Amino acid sequence: MSGVVKLQDVSKTINGKRIIDSLSFEVNSGEVFGFLGPNGAGKTTTIRMIVGLIGLSSGDITISGYSIKENFVKAISQVGAIVENPEMYKFMSGYQNLMQFARMSKGVNKEKVDEVVELVGLTDRIHDKVKTYSLGMRQRLGLAQSLLHDPKVLILDEPTNGLDPAGIREIRDHLRMLAKEKDMAIIVSSHLLSEMEMMCDRIGIIQAGRLIDVQRVRDFVNGAENSYQLEVSPKDEALLVAQQLFPTIKMSLTDNGIAGQLKKDDIPLLVNEFVSKEINIYGIKEISKTLEDRFLEVTDKKGEVTHA
Amino acid sequence: MLNLIKNEWIKLFKRTGTFVMIGLIILLLTFVGIIIRSQENPDRGTGSENWEEQLQTEINNREQELKDIQNAPQSMIDSYQRDIAINKYRIEHNLSPHQDYSVWGFVYDASNIIQFAGLFVIIVAAGIVASEFNWGTIKLLLIRPISRGKILVAKYITVILFALLMLIISFAYSSLVGVILFGTPETTAPHLNYYNGTITEQNMGVHLIILYSLKSINMLMLATMAFMISAVFRNSSLAIGLSIFLMFAGGQLTAMLAQKFEWAKYILFANTELMQYIEGVPLIEGMTLAFSVMVLVVYFIIFQFLAHYVFHKRDVAA
Repeated sequence: MSGVVKLQDVSKTINGKRIIDSLSFEVNSGEVFGFLGPNGAGKTTTIRMIVGLIGLSSGDITISGYSIKENFVKAISQVGAIVENPEMYKFMSGYQNLMQFARMSKGVNKEKVDEVVELVGLTDRIHDKVKTYSLGMRQRLGLAQSLLHDPKVLILDEPTNGLDPAGIREIRDHLRMLAKEKDMAIIVSSHLLSEMEMMCDRIGIIQAGRLIDVQRVRDFVNGAENSYQLEVSPKDEALLVAQQLFPTIKMSLTDNGIAGQLKKDDIPLLVNEFVSKEINIYGIKEISKTLEDRFLEVTDKKGEVTHA
Repeated sequence: MLNLIKNEWIKLFKRTGTFVMIGLIILLLTFVGIIIRSQENPDRGTGSENWEEQLQTEINNREQELKDIQNAPQSMIDSYQRDIAINKYRIEHNLSPHQDYSVWGFVYDASNIIQFAGLFVIIVAAGIVASEFNWGTIKLLLIRPISRGKILVAKYITVILFALLMLIISFAYSSLVGVILFGTPETTAPHLNYYNGTITEQNMGVHLIILYSLKSINMLMLATMAFMISAVFRNSSLAIGLSIFLMFAGGQLTAMLAQKFEWAKYILFANTELMQYIEGVPLIEGMTLAFSVMVLVVYFIIFQFLAHYVFHKRDVAA
């Protein structure tokens, strides 16, 4: 585990407007890093800066220690990427497209091309013209193109865009496999939060050009204590019993029972107490927050701060 | 670098448009050949017995006219002097102007096809950078371990190679059509060059090759300009439109300016017609071959510098 991709105080100013403001983070090998943010927050600009399509106004980005500014060729040779839609030469076949890119990196031979085509599951259609491909197939071809030269860093902008559920799952499995087995550092941006939750180890949240949070997905989702909902009757009596048992925990009435931020180990105690007090229990539900809730929570909160 | 050029070449020839261009050139040459063949005078070579007399009368006429038109523009006087000098040379060296129309004549006439080929080279030059932006493939192209400068150079070399191919096709195919339709002459008369009052003989084949290369300089410079516009503005329509407009109108506009202003000699189009130094007279007095070559080199460097500077700095955001 070491920072393969490092952003240090990266800023970008276009026409006097600061699009990206002092962004700093690291992505380690073997992890999938999710890049999250509302539209126009600067996700794509940041990704374009990492791959050298857009210049930096200040700061620096290094990949395996090579600066993208000073040593572009060395730095970029470690990177495979799809930036936004995977546009290819439509008048050529998928294979011919891949050969174009194979010729531009050192040591990529035909066997490697075949191997990558197999990996992304395009073997049947690879000799058809790209203009006959569906969006999902283009996405796969884009992935193939980015894997040709065995990069240490894989950068994918909206990789599941336009894929059907089976395709999404497949890409997800691919990415997890590549991170685990090939020890790649993978940077993914997506607006599908549920996707990110399943795919990523860590996520960074960017808003209005500023990085406002980097956390492990699990910590992030579980950042707030879980709350439990108990369907019980009579609920007024139940609330009284629960408050006597756990005076420090705040409990509240709901439509058909009570709810509170309990610890997992508290549940059996409470159930026993209810049973002995002859309170009927119909169900107990854990309410875990989704990434989406947390995301909205975080961006809202920080948004207010910046607006104030 | 070789791989990059190969890539560009493949991209060029995977598109039907490229073959249509080559097809059109072949079609046009065939068409022109057939027209010239059908209009050819059946009793060719008449009057060839007393050609010396005819030339002498022509010389006398021209000399008379020269005396009458003292106030005529210098270029007109020069061109009369040229006719006189060449005709005198023919009489002295017993070289009849009445040559049977043969393959050489046709290749000479067909050299105007270069303008047409130039059109296509401009289209290719204008598209080679701009289309990558249009297709969105520029993003995948620029994230390879290759500097932007190298990619641009590879693209420019591809344009030059394509221009060369068009020239070779034009020359070779017009020779072929010429041989088939008009045959080869038994003796090839040398071509007479007139420059600065002196006349030199030149082998016809060599002359034609020089003719083709010099005529293509215009095409080369315009293609370089189209390439520059394409790289700077990422807009192939602008590059094609401007370059083709200048290709057709640039010469005339420059000639008009040249009559009034001395500085017109620094305009690109005053210097692209290098044939003016071999046969004919310079557009503006005092211009020399060396001067024109210098001007061309300066323009070339400016175009290349602009293309590279902007392409290197560009943020690829779309």
